[in-house]
Amino acid sequence: PRLISPPADPAVISPQDPTLLIGSSLVATCTVSPDFHLRAEDLYWTLNGRRLPAASYAPLGPTTLSVVLAHLNGSKQQSGDNLVCHSRDGGILAGSCLYVGLPPEKPVNITCWSKNMKDLTCKWAPGTEGETFLHTNYTLKYKLRWYGRDNTCQEYHTAGPYSCHIPKDLALFTPYEIWVEASNRLGVAVSDVVMLDILDVVTTDPPSDVHVSRVGDLEDQLSVRWSSPPALKDFLFQAKYQIQYRVEDSSEWKVVDDVGNQTSCRLAGLRPGTVYFVQVRCNPFGIYGSKKAGIWSDWSNPTAASTPRSERAAGGCDPKGGEQNTTLRRELKQFFGWVKKHAYGCSNLGIKLYDQWRVWLQKSHKTRNQVGKEP
Amino acid sequence: GDSWGLFTFLCAALCNLPALPALNCTEEPGAGHSIQKTYHLTRYLELQLRTLAGTYLNYLGPPFNEPDFNPPRLVRVERVPSATVDLDLWRGLTDNARLAANYRAYSRLLCYLRALDGQGTAELRHRLGHFCSSLQGLVLSIAGVMSSLGYPLPAGGSPAPPGTSPLAPNDFLKKMDDFWLLKELQTWLWRSAKDFNRLKKKVPPAVVTLRLEARGF
Repeated sequence: PRLISPPADPAVISPQDPTLLIGSSLVATCTVSPDFHLRAEDLYWTLNGRRLPAASYAPLGPTTLSVVLAHLNGSKQQSGDNLVCHSRDGGILAGSCLYVGLPPEKPVNITCWSKNMKDLTCKWAPGTEGETFLHTNYTLKYKLRWYGRDNTCQEYHTAGPYSCHIPKDLALFTPYEIWVEASNRLGVAVSDVVMLDILDVVTTDPPSDVHVSRVGDLEDQLSVRWSSPPALKDFLFQAKYQIQYRVEDSSEWKVVDDVGNQTSCRLAGLRPGTVYFVQVRCNPFGIYGSKKAGIWSDWSNPTAASTPRSERAAGGCDPKGGEQNTTLRRELKQFFGWVKKHAYGCSNLGIKLYDQWRVWLQKSHKTRNQVGKEP
Repeated sequence: GDSWGLFTFLCAALCNLPALPALNCTEEPGAGHSIQKTYHLTRYLELQLRTLAGTYLNYLGPPFNEPDFNPPRLVRVERVPSATVDLDLWRGLTDNARLAANYRAYSRLLCYLRALDGQGTAELRHRLGHFCSSLQGLVLSIAGVMSSLGYPLPAGGSPAPPGTSPLAPNDFLKKMDDFWLLKELQTWLWRSAKDFNRLKKKVPPAVVTLRLEARGF
């Protein structure tokens, strides 16, 4: 049987696919295969498609040309800079990929949270920005503090580029050690170890069925109702809630902090005839009797509602002027009727009495609403 | 239109026979419909490839992403049968041979593309994954056309696993291989559009099959 040798590569570059630190210098050589009948003078170099100056070349033999690359910058792409040896007519004879960068630094700011105590998601930040020149691999590892082997997280990029998700087999009531290893062609860096108990970093889904409705005719109030997240019923903990609301065309949220563990709340002091957006979120508090709070859930999707428009406009032109007069007349009629009943003699008649009557009117109006219209 | 009229007449005539054979009339969606679908799939993939190739070649970096880049084809191993073929040879292909060539080519191209997985940015990997799914769809579509026309699928459709085939000896040559893989894919998609266009004209739009089940005969 005849041995057919594969066709020789036209040329060989050395070093082939080196890894270098930013700022370092490199001398590369291109040696042409004897089958190709080319000499050193017939060759030239390009780096990432750009021709390198002939001043940096030096022939090292009849078929070998060298080039000096000084003070290298970080690689233009993570697949490596393309250093190519060409023949005079532009043809490619050989190439070498240069990987220029920095070793990784310790990943920092590891934060984790557990959704409903079933899983654990962690995210972190790279040590430096310089880690983008070379492809850097991140591995999240975890182990039970006092025993057990190292485990490696498998599901990456679930909550951004530097994140990992551990879906199951997590123990409660016992601390975990968690850390992140960063590695690239130039080295490895390990973050500080974070210690946590799953129960300390629990979050839930946002509250469901958020309803916002008017409170009768009250023009400065809205009533908010919601249900606790369904997953909560499995756990023995209370929930704390927070409400935030804003006017439709504003970006400033107002937060109501002291909602406690009720599933309803009345917002007061609102502007009449305005559309409000309301969101609620939940914090699992006191899991299994602990006094600690968990992590706030995401805000629920915004729910909108509007306060009733005021009958008595504050200043300005009121097109309903006529209506206002009839209201006042009705009031006065009612007032005189009341006077007849309660005032003995005209001497007690006056503004003060009128004010007292107005106060009495407000009180009775309120009780009437509370009794009749509360859901 | 005409075929339906004839069919109804036949049914009526046969129904009047004393010993009534059971009639099973089925209308298959027809190879013609599948061919049309496959044609559209190649055009869609062609479009997807443009975006994928752009992203991938940018990842490889210049000169790979330069429009006039034309490196030598350092043939170490013939990976995929070339799409370019003598015109007369192409015209003379039987339907079976034409379909088989497409099926074999895309099966192998899919394998090599899948081996690219794990490289590059998250965005690139995502695009690659999506493209591979679509390409898998094309392979299955071609298989569907072949079976509806009664042709057997080519044996050994998928090549040897990547571990056994000779890998590029260095990173630069691997980049060249990747470049040529994308080029090959592009050329095949152009060619397939013409292949399926040609097949469309030869296969009738609907095939009505009449099967007679003999009972008591």
